[in-house]
Amino acid sequence: MKKTSFWIVLIALIVAVSAGVLLWQHLAKKDAVIAEIYVEGECVRRIDLSAVKEPETFTVEGVIGKNTILVEPGRICVTEAECPDHVCIEMGWLSSEHPTPIVCLPNEVVIMLSDSTENTNRIDGVTG
Amino acid sequence: MRWTTKQLTTMALLTAIALAIHVAEAQIPPLIAIPGVKLGLANIITVYAAFSIGGGAAAMILIARILLGSMFGGGVMSMMYSLAGGVLCLLITLVLRKILTVKQIWVAGVMGAVAHNIGQILVAVVVTGTPSIVSYLPILLISGVITGTFTGFAAQAVVNRMGHKP
Amino acid sequence: MRIKRYTRVIALALLVLMLSGCNRGMVIPTEKPGADDSVSRTVFAMDTVMELSPCGENAKAACDLGAARIQELESLFSVTRRDSEIYAVNHAQGKEVSLSPDTQTLLKDALYWCAQTDGMLDISIYPVLRTWGFTTGEYRVPDDAELASLLEHVDYRRVSLSPDGSAVTLPEGMEIDLGSVAKGYTGDMVMQAFRDSGVTSGMISLGGNVQVLGTKPDGSNWRIAVQDPSADGYVGIAEVADKAVITSGGYERFFEQDGVTYWHILDPETGKPAHSGVVSATVIGTSGTMCDALSTALFVMGAERAAAFWQTHADAGFDFVLVLEDGSLVMTEGVESSFTPVDSWASAPIEVIRR
Repeated sequence: MKKTSFWIVLIALIVAVSAGVLLWQHLAKKDAVIAEIYVEGECVRRIDLSAVKEPETFTVEGVIGKNTILVEPGRICVTEAECPDHVCIEMGWLSSEHPTPIVCLPNEVVIMLSDSTENTNRIDGVTG
Repeated sequence: MRWTTKQLTTMALLTAIALAIHVAEAQIPPLIAIPGVKLGLANIITVYAAFSIGGGAAAMILIARILLGSMFGGGVMSMMYSLAGGVLCLLITLVLRKILTVKQIWVAGVMGAVAHNIGQILVAVVVTGTPSIVSYLPILLISGVITGTFTGFAAQAVVNRMGHKP
Repeated sequence: MRIKRYTRVIALALLVLMLSGCNRGMVIPTEKPGADDSVSRTVFAMDTVMELSPCGENAKAACDLGAARIQELESLFSVTRRDSEIYAVNHAQGKEVSLSPDTQTLLKDALYWCAQTDGMLDISIYPVLRTWGFTTGEYRVPDDAELASLLEHVDYRRVSLSPDGSAVTLPEGMEIDLGSVAKGYTGDMVMQAFRDSGVTSGMISLGGNVQVLGTKPDGSNWRIAVQDPSADGYVGIAEVADKAVITSGGYERFFEQDGVTYWHILDPETGKPAHSGVVSATVIGTSGTMCDALSTALFVMGAERAAAFWQTHADAGFDFVLVLEDGSLVMTEGVESSFTPVDSWASAPIEVIRR
């Protein structure tokens, strides 16, 4: 225990492990799927779908009522809505494979993927 | 606790110095936009007190510094963070006090800083209810090692120059 | 002593460098989107979601002006709002109704494209569309007799503008809806609002009608994806600058009954959903009104007539990409080099129309 080298090795180990985790976080971040929830055009919540471990539900207060939103690892959807047409529920899951934004028109709630994920095929807009 | 008048006077002086450092450091603009990363210069005093006077004295100085420091600015939340980090830091320092030689005191600075940052993260997780904050830990540990090495060597220099355990 | 002090100064400097250096590139996602100089605004209007994304210093003002313009135009063009000009026109019972300058321009342009497309676009199809339930969501399939009686009132040529274009008269029983061109015109007006605000780069998406101003701030073209009509994802990406990119497809609004799919783009000749073999028509050009009008008309025309129309309207300055039922693509030579199918469409047969 009197050996200074022991402490140096221990500290180096802490730094190495931290650096490793940091690097891993940094690489994993490239695949982050950020969902943004907008109410009346304001971003009220950002969720990293790739970091979701357990399914979770929460509600968002829209213009005419609540939308109940369910997040699961990598995807997000609306399960209940106090809007007349329930189109937002029928739109199903939003994920990186299915990037079409979920829109609840009457409630002015939009769930969309953030364009912060950088890749060479990055697009600026979608027509259709 | 039976402290001599000289020890009590020293403790009061150290508390004042620690407080001054604490307040001065709060004025330094953050080096990076990561909450929790700071130099932790006041820990020099804690380490010095632990090695030169004793564990009880170090604890008294630390608590007094944190309570007074949060009064000068910071508020209840930053006091919670400081307390959690500070107490964990102190515990590690007191354990290491029995093990380290006078040439290894800097290790207490490093380990203390690391423990301090772990404590802060734990409080942050509990307070905000966001376990994902733990992802800040690696960067805080690395910054803790760097700042801790600096403050640790500073404390070691002070202890060796002022003389330890009178 | 002095040397030691120097080493401490150097150590401190190194420490500061290390602290700032080791974190380069790490971004903590605390900032709100749009916090930098590019501003984004979402507007709910014309039954859809509109996204305004001007770039540069005056972006905020451009958003304000653009959003105000959208609200103003919606209050003129809405078929359902009782205070709109179009509502007044449709309920004038044969009397002349005078129009605001915006409605004058849009109606004149709309009628121009109705005539150019030989009625493949017809703004007077509205009563038929409503009967199908596409305007209300209460879908039903009308029988042939009902359609025939409704079609008697469908003919854009009977919409009579006053000689100076400032007023319009509809025969009794006829109703018009500018929905097939209103978003395109609105896009043109928002682009103008951006320019008036001193913005030189920006993008808007009016419910899938994309219009871009200039190039991106870095000078590169905007990359606009065309929605895959049958699946999530995209058909391909068009690289454009200063253009409108507007798509019409049966997948946008439809219902199913007895195993048959009915969509909202009607053939003005039959009053039934247009079955031309086209599942989506994307038109790229400088005018939003034109692209909006033509995306609907080309969908109704089908590939062959669309190609012929393009060849005889070279001066209009537009290009198109059609996605056909058989999974093939038809595009004009103007977009051949700027449109790239995505991986899942890379093997689709492509027919390029040339002049």
